[in-house]
Amino acid sequence: MLQPEPFAGEEADEPGPSVESKNQAERITARRLRIAARNETKTRQELGEDSQGKEDIQEETRKSQKEVEKSKRHMVKLQSDGLELVTNIQVAVDARESDRRTELEEECRLRREKLENEAKSSQEKFEEITRKWTDAKMKQSPLDLRDAMNSQQQLCEQILGDKNKLISELQQELKASDDHYVKDLKRQAKDIDLLIERMEEQISSLKKSYREDLQQIENSFDEERRTLLTKHRKKWGHQMKEQSEKELRNMMQGLSLLEEHEDLLQKLRVWKAEEYNTDKIRMDTEVQNLRKKLQEVKFNCHLNEEKLDYKYEVLKKREEENAILKSHLKRKIIRMQDVLNNLKSKCASQEKQLKTEEQSLRNDYTRIKQQYIDMQKKARHFAALDAERFEKLWLINEDEVKALAHRVLETDRIIHEQQLGLAWVSPPLPFMERSGPIEHKTLRTASQAAADTLHEETRGDLVEESEGLGDTASGVNRRTVKRILELLCDELGFLVESKLLKLVSHLEKNDESLIKLDAIFSAIGIESEKDVYTMAEFLMNYRQHGREQRELMEEEETTNNSDFIHHNDLLVALKEFTAQYCRPHGVQASQKSSVLGLIMRDDSEDAAHWESIANVIPESKFRLWSALDTAINKYHTVLTERAELLVETQNVQQQNTELRQLLHLYTTSKANAEPEMQPTRMRQFPM
Amino acid sequence: MTTTNFTEKLKSSRRTGSMRPVNAAADGRKMRSIIAEDSEWSLELVPLLTTLCLQHIIKHFREKPILDELTPKYKAYVLQRLPTSLPLTITANLISDESYWKRCCEGRWAVSDVSTYDNSWKRMFFERHLENIIEFFIPDATDTKTVLDVVPLCRNYVKRLKVSQLLPPIRESPRFDEDDRSDCASDTGSEGPSMDHFDFRILLDKLPNLEELNVVYGVKGCGMNFEWNLFEFTFRDCEFLAKALHSCKTLQVFRIHRSKVDDEKCCLLVSQLLDHPSLQELDFSHNHISDRGARAIGKLLNRSQLKRLVVCNNQIRGPGAQALAHALYKNITLLSLNLRLNRIGDEGGQALAQALVKNKTLVNLHLGGNNMTEPMAVALSQALVENCTLKNLNLSNNKLGVDGGKVLEEGMSHNSSLVECDIRLTDVSQDSEYSRQHAKIKHKHDPSAKV
Repeated sequence: MLQPEPFAGEEADEPGPSVESKNQAERITARRLRIAARNETKTRQELGEDSQGKEDIQEETRKSQKEVEKSKRHMVKLQSDGLELVTNIQVAVDARESDRRTELEEECRLRREKLENEAKSSQEKFEEITRKWTDAKMKQSPLDLRDAMNSQQQLCEQILGDKNKLISELQQELKASDDHYVKDLKRQAKDIDLLIERMEEQISSLKKSYREDLQQIENSFDEERRTLLTKHRKKWGHQMKEQSEKELRNMMQGLSLLEEHEDLLQKLRVWKAEEYNTDKIRMDTEVQNLRKKLQEVKFNCHLNEEKLDYKYEVLKKREEENAILKSHLKRKIIRMQDVLNNLKSKCASQEKQLKTEEQSLRNDYTRIKQQYIDMQKKARHFAALDAERFEKLWLINEDEVKALAHRVLETDRIIHEQQLGLAWVSPPLPFMERSGPIEHKTLRTASQAAADTLHEETRGDLVEESEGLGDTASGVNRRTVKRILELLCDELGFLVESKLLKLVSHLEKNDESLIKLDAIFSAIGIESEKDVYTMAEFLMNYRQHGREQRELMEEEETTNNSDFIHHNDLLVALKEFTAQYCRPHGVQASQKSSVLGLIMRDDSEDAAHWESIANVIPESKFRLWSALDTAINKYHTVLTERAELLVETQNVQQQNTELRQLLHLYTTSKANAEPEMQPTRMRQFPM
Repeated sequence: MTTTNFTEKLKSSRRTGSMRPVNAAADGRKMRSIIAEDSEWSLELVPLLTTLCLQHIIKHFREKPILDELTPKYKAYVLQRLPTSLPLTITANLISDESYWKRCCEGRWAVSDVSTYDNSWKRMFFERHLENIIEFFIPDATDTKTVLDVVPLCRNYVKRLKVSQLLPPIRESPRFDEDDRSDCASDTGSEGPSMDHFDFRILLDKLPNLEELNVVYGVKGCGMNFEWNLFEFTFRDCEFLAKALHSCKTLQVFRIHRSKVDDEKCCLLVSQLLDHPSLQELDFSHNHISDRGARAIGKLLNRSQLKRLVVCNNQIRGPGAQALAHALYKNITLLSLNLRLNRIGDEGGQALAQALVKNKTLVNLHLGGNNMTEPMAVALSQALVENCTLKNLNLSNNKLGVDGGKVLEEGMSHNSSLVECDIRLTDVSQDSEYSRQHAKIKHKHDPSAKV
């Protein structure tokens, strides 16, 4: 009861403080423990690194470890022994307690038995008393009753005595147990004292032994350290000695080297001093020279400086001006830029406008072109129509004129024959046979002419001769013309386009040369037949002219060829020709272009034609006719007077007949006898 | 001045970087650097502004507790100098610094072993503070508010409660001496209307971290004023306690000593502890439990996670031990069983020995002082041949006799797990004693051996 049970101290090992614990203090302690562990390991590592003779040390540590283990074992044994010693008391007390309990049980049992016996006997006695009470009731005499009462009293007293005895016994027992309890208490107090004493003893002994063990362990560690120290010191001394020896050796070497170097240095010094002197002298002279030069250079420099200053000033000024100018210009540029921009924008707008205008104009142009073409077509159409109408008009007018002429001639004949009684001769009338407008020969084009000329070959020689004679008027023979044309065809092939040549190559020779000539003519500017002939003439002339020159050198052997112009001269001749004749051609071309391809009629002879028709009656006849007219007019007047008179006479005769008739009527008629209305009758009807 | 100004000043002074630690100024010779003539002069005499501010904070900590806003340096300074007399309502949840609580503990109690409190001074302070309040709680006289006021302050820190005494209510006691609390009980000894103690129901369900509870329904140091009813554990007390235990789900250890727990109360307590989620240790030592209570405990064994059961110094006899043995057949959690100073006898001992044949978890078994004799030793030796988990066995104070010792020795020689067997005062021969020593040595290499 006073001793804590052995299990109380055997609490399960609490888990060490963890870093994740909720309690802050616990965390702190955990961290501290960790840091301590880390430091320990570190120091251990350092120690391990420092030590060189690892194996020895391992052995040594083993020794110390052994010591530690030994002490641990020792301590464990001590502890267990101490524990046993201490718990012995507890066990003893337990034993006593259990003994006491068994005793107590035994006593309890005895007491209970006794009490039961007592209760039984007292019960018996009580029953006896109660029985006697009934006996006493039976008794009549007071004496007997008193005896019975006395005996009853005795019995009761006996019971009471028994009870009292028991009570006193029990009280004694109680007292004894009280004493026992006090004794027990005392003993337990003693036991506890003993226990405490033993515990203290244990603690002190444990302390002592711990201390001893610690001492031992420390001693062993000290020993280890000491041995290590001596070993290391020895090593250190040895190495020190070696080091000092080495240094001494090095010093000696260094000293000898020093001496050597000093000698060398001395030598070098002397040599260098000499050198230095010579150099100094040389340098002095050089210095003098250089000073002079320096003076000059300084002077120059000064001069230049001033010049440069002046220039610099000037330049500054200029620069300022430039700056002003620049700014000015800049402003200008900006202004110009603005203007330029404006203009650009304007230009752009204008351009746009112009484009639109151009577009519209183009449209107009196409439209107008179309119109023009239409107009041309119309014009052509109208021209054709006009020609037709003209022809018709011409025919009508001619018929009319012819009719009029016929009538005039007839009238003239009638006048001649009937009035004058002369024989009428009709004047010559050539136009009467002709009808329709006067036709003219049109000019043939150069190509046609050339074609003609070329085709003449096919025709017979006779025709050629006859025509050749006919054409002498143009001054050139047809044959020669043909030859010239052929020559042109050969020589001036370069004027023809290559495409055309290709196209033409498979044609007949004549056609081929014809097309070629056509191209050549268009290139040179020859258009009409006339031109062709003029050219031919020119070439002939040229040839003749050339021949005259050539005659000097060679005789007239080449008669056949003489008609020809030489190929070499042809180009030159043509050049001259073109130079002379190109202008009229241009005029002609312009005239031609204005005609618009319409055929122009030549109306120069029309007036004469019509004049000749008008002049069918000559002047003399007119004079005759006028005289005749006057005479006829006079005759007419006479005749008209006669006619009037005739009419007057006729009228008078008629009046005469009428008057006669009237007179006859009056005379014959009855009506006259009685008037139709009487004035008397009129009076009869007033009422 | 407002507190914000203080903190600002502190910060500004820190910015200048001229804050000199106060302890460094202790050496006057070092600090005396300006006036050579005045030997008394020292820079220490002129406290720094920061020091002044901190002192002001300390002085007015009661009205304006500023701590967490300070830098660690100043915080340590303040904590070092805070008076321990500050009301707990301010400090309890604000200060977690151990050194402060250490000062509190040392100022309040002469003896304080922090190692039993997980090295937490704060926990120690609050646990002991609460224990103190409960131990001096007088039902009907003390207001329950005194307990309930403390609960919100210490509820996070209390893990263990060791209530070493519980005072009964005062009855017709006009004088009440604070020093001697036993005066509360009168000599009349007659049955009062209520002898109930402190009601644990108001407390236990409010402590979320409580793991251990030690209770003694009795009075300490009553001296010559002893009276039986000072040590009364009433039925209603038991009821309240059982309900309180049921409500405390975090409890791991429950101990009730010297409280006259008889069979009825034991049954009541056990019935509320059935299927408790966390209970691991149960201690009913020094009570009056007999066979019925033992049967109830046996029922509890297989309906909880009990690892350790102590029923020493009770009145369990053979039938009770048989009930416990029957529970041990199937049990797989119990590691330690203490039946010291009971009267289980050979009947119960044999039953337990037979249970050990089947049981595979029990490590410690204490059967000291149980009035057992040779037949039990025979049964146990047979069990030891089969069992291979038991490490500690205590058979002291049983009259096993010489033959029983021999039988036991034989049984032990076939066992491979037993580390310690206590057979003191069992009337066995010296040879058996020796063999016990030998068994110890044999299993010494076992690192977990407790000799």
